[in-house]
Amino acid sequence: MIPFGDTLLYAALALSVIALIGLLLKDFKNIEYFNQLVTPAILLGAGLLTFSYILLTYYFVTGNFAYDYVWQYSSRDLPLVYKISGTWAGQPGTYLLWVLVIYLSAAWLAWTTKHSTALARRTQIITLLTGIYLVILTLIQTPFKLILDRPDVIEMIAKGELAAGFVPLDGNGLNALLVNFWMIVHPPLMFIGYATMTIPFAAAIVYLLTKADGWEELGRQWARFTWLFLGMGIAVGGVWAYLVLGWGGFWAWDPVETASFIPWLTLTGFLHAAALHRKDKSTFSIAAPILAAVSFILVLYAAMVVRSGLFNSVHAFGDTPTGSLLIILISIVSIVTIVLGMRRYLEEPDKVEEDRGFWNKINIFYVTLLLFVVLAFISFWGITFPAFIQLTQGLKVNVASDTKNFFNLWSYPFTIILLLALGFCLNYNEKNKEEQKKTLFIVIGLSIITMFLRTDNFYVLDHSSPFWVREPAIYKMIGNISVISLFPSMIYATWSTAQRLIDYLRIKSIRPRIKGIGIAIVHFGMIFILFGAVISSNFTQSIEVGSIPLASKGEKVDIGNGYDIKIIDFSTRSLAESVPAASGNYNVQSVQLEIYKDNSMIGSGTAEYLDSKTGSGTFPLVDSSITGTDVYVIFQGLSSGSVPLTLKIIPGVNFAWFGIVLFAIGIILIMAVRSKS
Amino acid sequence: MRTKKLVSILVLVLILAFAYFSYTTALTNFTLSDKTNSYLGGIKFHRAAAGLEEGFQIAQQENKPVMVYFWAIWCQYCARFQTDTLGNPQIKKILEEDYVLVAMDLDIDREVAQEYGVSYPPYLVFMDPKGKILERVPGAVGPDYLLPIVTQVREKVRGNTT
Repeated sequence: MIPFGDTLLYAALALSVIALIGLLLKDFKNIEYFNQLVTPAILLGAGLLTFSYILLTYYFVTGNFAYDYVWQYSSRDLPLVYKISGTWAGQPGTYLLWVLVIYLSAAWLAWTTKHSTALARRTQIITLLTGIYLVILTLIQTPFKLILDRPDVIEMIAKGELAAGFVPLDGNGLNALLVNFWMIVHPPLMFIGYATMTIPFAAAIVYLLTKADGWEELGRQWARFTWLFLGMGIAVGGVWAYLVLGWGGFWAWDPVETASFIPWLTLTGFLHAAALHRKDKSTFSIAAPILAAVSFILVLYAAMVVRSGLFNSVHAFGDTPTGSLLIILISIVSIVTIVLGMRRYLEEPDKVEEDRGFWNKINIFYVTLLLFVVLAFISFWGITFPAFIQLTQGLKVNVASDTKNFFNLWSYPFTIILLLALGFCLNYNEKNKEEQKKTLFIVIGLSIITMFLRTDNFYVLDHSSPFWVREPAIYKMIGNISVISLFPSMIYATWSTAQRLIDYLRIKSIRPRIKGIGIAIVHFGMIFILFGAVISSNFTQSIEVGSIPLASKGEKVDIGNGYDIKIIDFSTRSLAESVPAASGNYNVQSVQLEIYKDNSMIGSGTAEYLDSKTGSGTFPLVDSSITGTDVYVIFQGLSSGSVPLTLKIIPGVNFAWFGIVLFAIGIILIMAVRSKS
Repeated sequence: MRTKKLVSILVLVLILAFAYFSYTTALTNFTLSDKTNSYLGGIKFHRAAAGLEEGFQIAQQENKPVMVYFWAIWCQYCARFQTDTLGNPQIKKILEEDYVLVAMDLDIDREVAQEYGVSYPPYLVFMDPKGKILERVPGAVGPDYLLPIVTQVREKVRGNTT
């Protein structure tokens, strides 16, 4: 028997096919017959998917362990909020969330346009095709799979080890690392971001096919929305790694987090291309749609990275049947994009216009687009070729002696050039061009000179790390660049952005002013994030405390380098309040600490260790101060009466958090102003 | 439009050069595992289930203890554990001379990991030549912690036969 949830998905699938046929008949044969059904079918389909998601949530909340997915990611003693967030803890649920949001955006398209234009109709056709494909993937890896359909359960029933109508009494439980606030928000942000990329992509493909006007306007807000959600999803993932996984940093170039960062980079490129394209249709008439399509392809790629089992990551889910289907979809979309892009390129008449030289706004913007593409490619290549080598040659390779070195060292020079372009572009003024070129050259000169400055250990690669000596010559050469060289371009970019902000503030009419402020804030955000990232990763001080006996509670223990730690209290509890400590599925050990430097207290708080049958998690103590330096203590669980601790002094992380907030505020301001094209 | 075309071509060439260079560099410098061996922290290990079997044969012939190292490429602590702890000159010398070393990649050798009750990296299991577990070291411990264990296990195995 087909589970009820799946029948909803099948019904939504049937409705989408009807809508698709209606749209195709209208488009190719101009038959109106079916056309009236299209909008209701799409709205109903979106409604059914919404209902199926509510149904899944209901199964989680009521603990219906007859469903395999509920059993895998939930248990009775989880607090309600984690029962709800369990719906997006695994692949089947996130597929459902993904298609749900695609259908909601299709419904929006249907509702707002009524498919009255060819552009809207064709964009809807491509959106529906994508939606249908992903609904099929959801059905293959359905969250509504019954536990009785699990091969191991079938076998056990056949052997008589389980009763025929077996329903587990309790669930397997949520992985301990997922039991925290960031887990509640990270997956929905990511998958909503993935899904909202569909309409800009579909509109871009239609534009490449038919040169339809208005494609950029149709997808504009969706692309910004994706940028916001994807960006915040990645950021929240970073916060999670910092606060929960105890990485001691927020970015580790793990293949999965890198994979989600790549489409964000190309999407940033698209937003820049679109900004000029909307002013003059002939500018970036190929680059803009290609970047939109590539961002969508890379979203699929990011999903594939998690689901193929080819990429070795902390997000390990193992290989799943839908991984290869995603690869097929990626191939189809890539081929379509390349063919259409090539066709448009060859069709494009060679514009004969006076040569305005290299130094004009369009060219500098074009360099910026290329920089985003280059940065995206570095990340893409760094996660892809090791997987490729593993697949084709059976070898396991690392990209550098230490994985993060590869990404840091190759991205570094292009980040400087990006900041230079930002400084030049935001301050660009046709009249003062010569003067501005002079400033740019001075900053370039300073950047190059400062690369050679010798410091204690403030280089692109950490010279004190044991990996440093084993990097090859070229990696050492780039790794030897002083990070001081980042600051001339960073100051230049900041100054330009500030200048621009002042100009924007002088604008009389309100809408361009708000939009301008938004643009300035976003760019300030980027500078803050870079600053925070560089400072925190270069100046973190790490002290292995070792084990402090619990018996020394209340006494200061000298841990060297002038630091002392005092254990104030130790306690255990169960995560669910109704369950007594040490008997539930999730047991938390908390140690309350005070940290001293030269006898004055620099931080205090609680470091926790969560233990469960599905793994363990460390929730470090993070005490931030206004000066921007975090006191960070990782507690790895009580062992034979001792408290093992690691102390880190991490400066500058607050700048990155602040930058992320600026990103969000800025783009929301930009979105709030509906600019006319 | 000439400038744009030129810049595009230049960038494309740069990208291809970078791709080729990093690919070959990784193959020559950073191979972690091939079909029979793993190379972690500058130490050569036998690898996977087949390597473990072979390891036990060698261990029995030479009366050496077996150390199985469970690792993963995405493991934040493993890389430093390999260089600082396993790669500690004293420890490294003992391991290379007096031990049979086997590495298990948690992304591939999941079954072996399950068999030994290992659920996260890094994780060391010490055994005598017959496969009896003598010691377990979970987590990224420091060299001060590991050195006595490495010595004790070696003495224990040597003592059993003499």
